[in-house]
Amino acid sequence: MRGDARAPACQTCHGESDKHLKGNTDGKGRPAPDFVFKKGAYAASDDRERAGQCLTCHKGEARNNWDGGQHQVAGIACNDCHKVHRPADNVLSKATQTEVCFTCHKEQRADVHKISTHPIDIGKVVCSDCHNPHGSTGPKLVKKNSVNETCYQCHAEKRGPFLFEHRPAVEDCTNCHTPHGSNVAPLLKFRPPMMCQQCHDGTHASASPAGPNVAGAQGGLTSAPSRNLVGRACMNCHSQIHGSNSPAGGYFQR
Amino acid sequence: MKIHIQELKLSTLAVAVAGALASMASMAAYADDQEAAALKTPKSTVEVGASNVNGTSARLGEYNGYNKSGNYFVGGMNIRGGDAYGDNGGTMRWSLVGTDLGLTTRALGGTVSDQGRWNLGVYYDELRHNLSDTYQTPYRGTMGGNTWTLPPGFGIVGNTTTMTNAQKAALQNVDINSTRKNTGLSAGLNLNAQWGIKFDFNRLDQTGAKLMGFGAAGIGGASGEFVSILPSPTNYKTDTVNLALNYMGEKGNASASYYGSYFHNAYDRITFQTFAGANNMQTMSTPPDNNLHQFNLAGGYQLLAKTKLAGNVSYSRNTQDQGYVVDPLMFVAASTAAGNTMTSANALVVTKHADIKVTDQTFKNLGLTAGYKYDLRDNRTASNIYNFHAISGGNDANYPNTPLSIKKSQIELAGDYRVYKDQTLRLAYTRDDISRYCNQYAVGVLYPAGTNCVVATKSKEDKVEGGYRFKALDSLVVRLGYSYGVRKTDFDTNARAAFLSTNGGNGALGFPGQNGGDYQGFHTLLDANRNQQVIKASANWELNDKFSVGLGGRFTDDRYSTTWGMQNGNTWSLNLDGAYRYSDTGTVTAYVTQQHLERTMTDLQRAAFQAATGASGTAVAVPSGATWTDKLKNSDVTVGLGLRHTGLVGGKVDIAGDLSYSMSRSDYNNQLNYATLTTGGLNCAANIILSCGATPDIKITTIQFKLAGTYMIDKKSKVALRYLLQHIDGSDYYYNGYQLGYSPTQVMPTNQQLGNGTIKVISASYIYTF
Repeated sequence: MRGDARAPACQTCHGESDKHLKGNTDGKGRPAPDFVFKKGAYAASDDRERAGQCLTCHKGEARNNWDGGQHQVAGIACNDCHKVHRPADNVLSKATQTEVCFTCHKEQRADVHKISTHPIDIGKVVCSDCHNPHGSTGPKLVKKNSVNETCYQCHAEKRGPFLFEHRPAVEDCTNCHTPHGSNVAPLLKFRPPMMCQQCHDGTHASASPAGPNVAGAQGGLTSAPSRNLVGRACMNCHSQIHGSNSPAGGYFQR
Repeated sequence: MKIHIQELKLSTLAVAVAGALASMASMAAYADDQEAAALKTPKSTVEVGASNVNGTSARLGEYNGYNKSGNYFVGGMNIRGGDAYGDNGGTMRWSLVGTDLGLTTRALGGTVSDQGRWNLGVYYDELRHNLSDTYQTPYRGTMGGNTWTLPPGFGIVGNTTTMTNAQKAALQNVDINSTRKNTGLSAGLNLNAQWGIKFDFNRLDQTGAKLMGFGAAGIGGASGEFVSILPSPTNYKTDTVNLALNYMGEKGNASASYYGSYFHNAYDRITFQTFAGANNMQTMSTPPDNNLHQFNLAGGYQLLAKTKLAGNVSYSRNTQDQGYVVDPLMFVAASTAAGNTMTSANALVVTKHADIKVTDQTFKNLGLTAGYKYDLRDNRTASNIYNFHAISGGNDANYPNTPLSIKKSQIELAGDYRVYKDQTLRLAYTRDDISRYCNQYAVGVLYPAGTNCVVATKSKEDKVEGGYRFKALDSLVVRLGYSYGVRKTDFDTNARAAFLSTNGGNGALGFPGQNGGDYQGFHTLLDANRNQQVIKASANWELNDKFSVGLGGRFTDDRYSTTWGMQNGNTWSLNLDGAYRYSDTGTVTAYVTQQHLERTMTDLQRAAFQAATGASGTAVAVPSGATWTDKLKNSDVTVGLGLRHTGLVGGKVDIAGDLSYSMSRSDYNNQLNYATLTTGGLNCAANIILSCGATPDIKITTIQFKLAGTYMIDKKSKVALRYLLQHIDGSDYYYNGYQLGYSPTQVMPTNQQLGNGTIKVISASYIYTF
């Protein structure tokens, strides 16, 4: 097997390693190579040294923000996630990528087992679809400049610009949604109407506090339940909650 | 069903558990020889077989394609070749990869590349999102279509809990699902050692529908606020293009790129017939066609030996000029309001982004970072007064659209100091500033010139962060982190953020322009002044080459400074992981994660409290000044067990198993403090009201068990058996109000169900390796 002229040989990554190549010259065993990527016979090199070796060649736009990025400052190096001697690198395959990321991101691992999730568990949406682990100009290492730009890659129907905009949706999708998994579909942080009441106390909101009546007759309510409170609650009527392009859509009802 | 037999020998669990923080030396060494051989001569595989599903469940087959009982084809391939492999001396590689070919999760792709010169790839990726197989509706139409009518003679329903037998009989099942198909092409060409071009194109086709509320307008003889939950079509097409010119030099790199995203909706409206009033046809808008054109310049430069500069600027235009679709029953056509004469929003949002970051590691033990980011969402859409009805038939609106512009900046300063060889201390400071405004805001009687369109005009947040990381005994890594953030917001109490005509509810105590009349002292969760503390800690210990354990946790505490609204909240989580390699060919893993969320909000009760239903006719007068609180508790436990064992039965059998258990529970507890009620002695706990007390727990348990095994017949042939069990057991009051006989009187029941049950899938396949 061969690669092009840039293809590395052992010393490209592990350093000149003169002492290592000379072998056991002093009876104390063969010295370590200059750069050791995995703990084994020798202690692993410092994370900056390991990453530095990789970045000698693998520099460029996608890794421009590695230095100072969350993973770099956490002491993570490239080979902590990538396996370079294998024909298939788990983190580069959608089918196996999450196994690698969940090594550290354990709350996200738990989230994907909740009832409302992106198709993460089956490998159809994976971490790198939204995040750039090598550093990003956006928050939370999202791939694009903002959370919304990242979400709009797949959810362009939410992008608008709508005639009537809903401010939380415009500012940040994660104001209402939690993308890795939720107990409240669809990926909501809280159950409406309580979620809506966190920002709205006018008109309906403070007039009808949602108590056990949200469960309707099955929950013991002897009057008919309110369409403001059960099921989709506010969104039974205000269904265009991401924004409306109807000239009659100012209440997000059209 | 994703268990990757072919990964068994590559110690998946060593990755999954030890991962970044530890390694399993001897296992890795064992794998290295095989890996090197596989690199030189890759193995290709073709898999064919069949699977059987024992039941039907949209919920349990939500994404995996096993939503219906029956038999499915199992097919996949991973074929690789090219003269770069073996001893041919070339640099060409190609691959053809297909997965789940018999399911609605199928994917197929191919690549060919001449390393260092060019590459080309094509792919197809499909996914069906199954949303409901219990949904019922009396409406006739096509799931994915945009017209929903009632059957002839259906008549009028004034109360959905007392429909006639004929009307009940009209309810029919409609499976609800939405399918996405991604088809794409990627290509790259290295012009020389410094310059290269990259191109990506993706077409996302979406079909099907999602359920959405359709409220009937009560104008022109119709009855308002009658709600039908109907399939809203997702007949979308999104084309995405990326074209980049990249430069790579000795000391720096640069990239100039164009990103385009073009969204098209096949339907500009949905028409539906109301089941009340005059059975008239009404119109719902749909997401409009829109385009995004973004230009990016990004680069990095080595200023000094250990000092780097990275930066990026972006400019984008997001346009939307779809013609308005007017619902005559909601639009006040005769109005002289300026907006009512418009035919399109002609919306334009210009987005600008710039960032620059300098990192320095001149001093061996000190890493410094300084960064600045700037983001502008400049909404140049015109603002006009629009005159339209609410679906209730009342609350006519005569207010402007609020094209929101947002300006953000962030400063980051950070330092990482290596106190000792394996000890690192981090200190960081970030400052975020946000301004919100409208470039232009329509002027009217109630919106005098100079009126602000947004209440929270400016926000700023200062955050300091500290972290400490140390390694001990060459096998224990401990991380500690703490951050403290203070967010402060400027509020314009004279702002009139639309919704002006419906502000009566809170009377003199309300701000007329805030969210439809927020009480004075109420600030939204997103804006309220906040102090936030976050504590993180973790320890990962590799006791020996067989056993590793990790313990970690996070605690967040939020305190809000607002009279009404969110008061406080906290979240915490705890994780415990362990992995044990009991032999060179076997590993077991286990983990448990506990997550907890709690938050409390409070508000001022409106003076006249109407019982939970207008239909009950029971009104309860609540003393002015009464308050209510709402407390949410969310608790989740997730447990996982895993097993990998290779080389059984003389090296012929590999097995892998994963079990996950998740139990989530959410409850909201609402308390009203009013002391006395004046109507019939009722209080909030009376069954006719039930507006205080705890909501029933939303309690959902999911179990997933995967077991897979392969038997090697000979060097080229394997048989794979896979078993999948999925189970859901839960209760969620969400669905109560959509059941026939139990719905609100003005909501058409849908029979949507949570989807409790168990589904088993068994698969058998033959894998040929060459």
